[in-house]
Amino acid sequence: MELQPIHPEPTSFIRKWIFSIDHKVIAKQFLWTGLLFLLFGGTLAMLIRWQWAFPGQSVPALGPVFFKDTGGAITPPTYTSIFTMHGLIMIFWAITPILIGAFGNLTIPLMIGARDMAFPKLNMYSYWAFFISAVLVILSFTSQLGAGNAGWTTYPPLSTNVGSPGWGQTFAGLGIFVTGLSSIMGGINYIVTVIRFRAPGMTWFRLPLTVWGLWLTAILNVLFVPVLGSGALLVTLDRLAGTHFFITGGAVGLKGGDPILFQHLFWIFGHPEVYILILPAWGIVGDVLSFFARKPAFWYKGSVFAMIGVTVLSAVVYGHHMYQTGMAPMLGLAFEILTLAISVPAVLLFVNWLNTIWRGSVRKTVPMLFALGMVFVFGAGGLTGLLLGTISTDIYLHDTMYVVGHFHLTMAAASFLASFCGLYFWFPKMFGRETNPLLGKLHFWGSVIFITTTFTGQLLAGYSGQHRRLYDPFQYDYITHLRDINRWTSYSAFMLFIAQIPFVINFFYSVFAGKKTKENPWDVPTLDWVACSSPPVYHNFDVVPTVVRGPHELGNPEVKKALGKDWISQTEEMPGEDLAHAAAAE
Amino acid sequence: MASVAKLEPRMRENFTQSLGMIVALGSWAMMFGALFFVYAGVRTSARVWPPAGLPALPIALPLVNTLVLALSSVMLWIGTNALIRGNRKVLPRYVALSFGFGTLFLVLQVKVWKDLWLSGLMPSTGIYASVFYGLTVLHAVHVFAGLIVLAVIFARSLKGTYTEHNAIRVRVAGMFWHFVDVVWIFMFVALYLL
Amino acid sequence: MKISPRKWLGARRALLPALAGFAVALTTAGLSLAKPQPGTGISLPVDASADGHRIDWLIGVTNAITAVLFVAMTAWIFIAAIKHGEKHTAKYDHGTSKRSMFIALGMAGSVFVVVDGNLFVNSTMDLETVYHNFKEAEKDPNSVLIEVNGHQWAWDFRYAGPDGKFNTKDDIVRLNDMRIPVDTPIVIEVASTDVIHSFNLPNMRTKVDAVPGQINKIWFKAKMTGEFDIGCAQHCGTNHYKMKALLTVLSKEEYAKWAKETSAISERAYDEKDESAHWGWDWKDI
Repeated sequence: MELQPIHPEPTSFIRKWIFSIDHKVIAKQFLWTGLLFLLFGGTLAMLIRWQWAFPGQSVPALGPVFFKDTGGAITPPTYTSIFTMHGLIMIFWAITPILIGAFGNLTIPLMIGARDMAFPKLNMYSYWAFFISAVLVILSFTSQLGAGNAGWTTYPPLSTNVGSPGWGQTFAGLGIFVTGLSSIMGGINYIVTVIRFRAPGMTWFRLPLTVWGLWLTAILNVLFVPVLGSGALLVTLDRLAGTHFFITGGAVGLKGGDPILFQHLFWIFGHPEVYILILPAWGIVGDVLSFFARKPAFWYKGSVFAMIGVTVLSAVVYGHHMYQTGMAPMLGLAFEILTLAISVPAVLLFVNWLNTIWRGSVRKTVPMLFALGMVFVFGAGGLTGLLLGTISTDIYLHDTMYVVGHFHLTMAAASFLASFCGLYFWFPKMFGRETNPLLGKLHFWGSVIFITTTFTGQLLAGYSGQHRRLYDPFQYDYITHLRDINRWTSYSAFMLFIAQIPFVINFFYSVFAGKKTKENPWDVPTLDWVACSSPPVYHNFDVVPTVVRGPHELGNPEVKKALGKDWISQTEEMPGEDLAHAAAAE
Repeated sequence: MASVAKLEPRMRENFTQSLGMIVALGSWAMMFGALFFVYAGVRTSARVWPPAGLPALPIALPLVNTLVLALSSVMLWIGTNALIRGNRKVLPRYVALSFGFGTLFLVLQVKVWKDLWLSGLMPSTGIYASVFYGLTVLHAVHVFAGLIVLAVIFARSLKGTYTEHNAIRVRVAGMFWHFVDVVWIFMFVALYLL
Repeated sequence: MKISPRKWLGARRALLPALAGFAVALTTAGLSLAKPQPGTGISLPVDASADGHRIDWLIGVTNAITAVLFVAMTAWIFIAAIKHGEKHTAKYDHGTSKRSMFIALGMAGSVFVVVDGNLFVNSTMDLETVYHNFKEAEKDPNSVLIEVNGHQWAWDFRYAGPDGKFNTKDDIVRLNDMRIPVDTPIVIEVASTDVIHSFNLPNMRTKVDAVPGQINKIWFKAKMTGEFDIGCAQHCGTNHYKMKALLTVLSKEEYAKWAKETSAISERAYDEKDESAHWGWDWKDI
């Protein structure tokens, strides 16, 4: 236990709440910041949807405040900034901090039985680097020429001075770089903590799936975020130092840099990034489905190996984002085969979820509903990805709204629902209070219904040929008849935004005045609920627990006979068993 | 795992620290790997290298410089090993030597840049100059960061902060310095020799 | 605020069938989409190309199969959540028996073989025989070669003219106006002068990025005359949405007449000193 000494709790306000090295406080810092940016990014999404429903018309409520010069209407340059920043903010400043920053920090030490992260100070730096990046991205909005506007993919030459002069894009690029540093610092911590700080008896195959998801995410973060860092750095050099990495002299012949090289760097990072965002979601949902179906996770090892398989493959499928860039046919074919191959572990994982809830005893609690919703939207989104991974069908669908619908269902909607699944699930652990289930269910049904209709609307518009990122899609004659579907999709999106109100009320009410929680309100067997209090003490565990079994021992009839309950915790022994002793001796 | 669990507490702590640094350096290597990827992409698509009318890169001075940086690494390595064996006195001497060679590396690197700049090679000249300056400057930034770390270690070693019991702190910092050295060797081969 | 869980469950009973109905409606919509109804409502745009039906067919078939999978998945989730609800006794099963692992792998494997296999085989065949088969297209003596240059925010088109060479006096040069003959292979080389664009012909089911410093190639054959939109599919700056050109498919005779007249006009307008107008390149063979 020398590795995990008990440090005295800091007493000063600053050490305790601001520059804290306590993983639980850092988790909350990430959570608050992430939720704030989720609101910000969501508002930007509403502006985009307004623009597609009523192009160029003055925006109600927000317009007179933010677009005074134009009488409340969004102009084309402002529009490009809005969708660029919507993408960047949602990915790097909303989902990443909530799913990875907040839940990673909160759950990893608690679930593996550690008193804190391996490098608590690095953890603090990780949050404050993230904070600086958040400041940078907000500074981007103060630029005279508008915030970053080259799309979230920041493809040069558009993202160089050729296409987006001014410091809006520069700050956005630097923000990406700094938030990348934050992710890497967090990733190092997660990787080392899981390898080194597991409680006695906590073998690799006794780890909850949540920890597996976060650990694999950390590996992807550490390996591939630096690649994006390099790309962002080189673009910044092109902008500020006059280099020519990605700028060419002219149409043909003049030999300059190569913009396609940036796309390689971007997607070597970018494709793992979608798994970075979804792996923690898979992990959380994998656990929650089992906990509330009161049944062990179906083929746990299969799920773990599926997640590992996806992690390994994620780095070598990125070329499917670049089929239309004039990629060599053989290279395209190789990427196509790999892309289709990644569907095998993904489907396996999915089938395991379905089998987990089958013949269970499903308790429809709020976290469980969100987990089921995540399975639904992820399934729908995954199915729509097939046409995009195939070269010939991608020729038509590439860069249409179909792509937008697809990645919103898989990456945005699924990680959004999984975030709330985790938030409702660990809320009692974080704040020691329960949330209101009625408001939670209202939030769930509003979210899942309008998420489905909104992104299905986008799929349909894209199927009919509507391009992405059009200020006024109806400039094109062949899609003028899509005005209705765009309007309906927008109404649905507005409803999705409104559907978040119950959550806001629920969250603030419960943080301050919610019902005090029981120690283990969900009856689940993992260390975070059975071995420490809610909320945990500063050093989490007075005695580091000894683990004797896997994380999903639910519904065992023998346990029920012996102990009178349908679950047995990871540290608990059956009468007559002596597993702890064996584990300690190991 | 079984063998790890039996290690002394201090050794376990050391292992955790080293593991953290190894993971961090893996991440760093990916960053440099991406830069080399760009360089490889540029080189394979270029028909003439260096492009017509632009000066070729020197070899002699960078070669000397490679040796200088390698020496700096070796000095730190000797000093750290002495510390681990319990010889605390020689550490400041070797760290100072390491720092000195590191600084010399930067000075010579500035001379390489200056000569090329004066012969008309500027970042805006095109992709040839861009990759050369981009890669070498980014590496130099790491050398500079390493020098700051060495300076801190030097000051602390004079105060006698380091003992054979906490030598891991010097060793982990040294891992970063050796890494910067290894990256330079790759860079030297890729940029100047190939 | 307080409602007992049992009551709440009862209230939601009505909601669940409603949701199931919604899912079915969604699926029906999906299934009907599998059959393209050109030009009206939610459907693929009019297919004006000789080979676009290959892509349309593959999209349709895949949509149909995935719609079935979607219904199965949705039904599974709802049945599991309702029928195997709180009152149901959970079956203690780790899913590690040979049989259950076989079922899980079998489900994953069969989806892969059927859906992915179909996509892969057809896509590869279509690319081999049509989309990447430039030799066949250029072999045709009547085939029309066009150079396209994208720039913020318009498309330039260049035809070789009577001498068959690009970047010469008799080139036909047009802005946002591309005319082609029907039933003839059209081979297009695309590049860009500033940022990345994407040359999109939705009605011809083809598209390729216009990248500065790089020439990309596509070809197609129009099967009907008429006017169609040419778009830019890749975000290229403020007026990306206005980067639109017109594709006119003419009968072979009309096209020949137009080409002859326009070449003469272009030749008269040719200005040797206007360097920026000579953006063409030597045709690149693949």
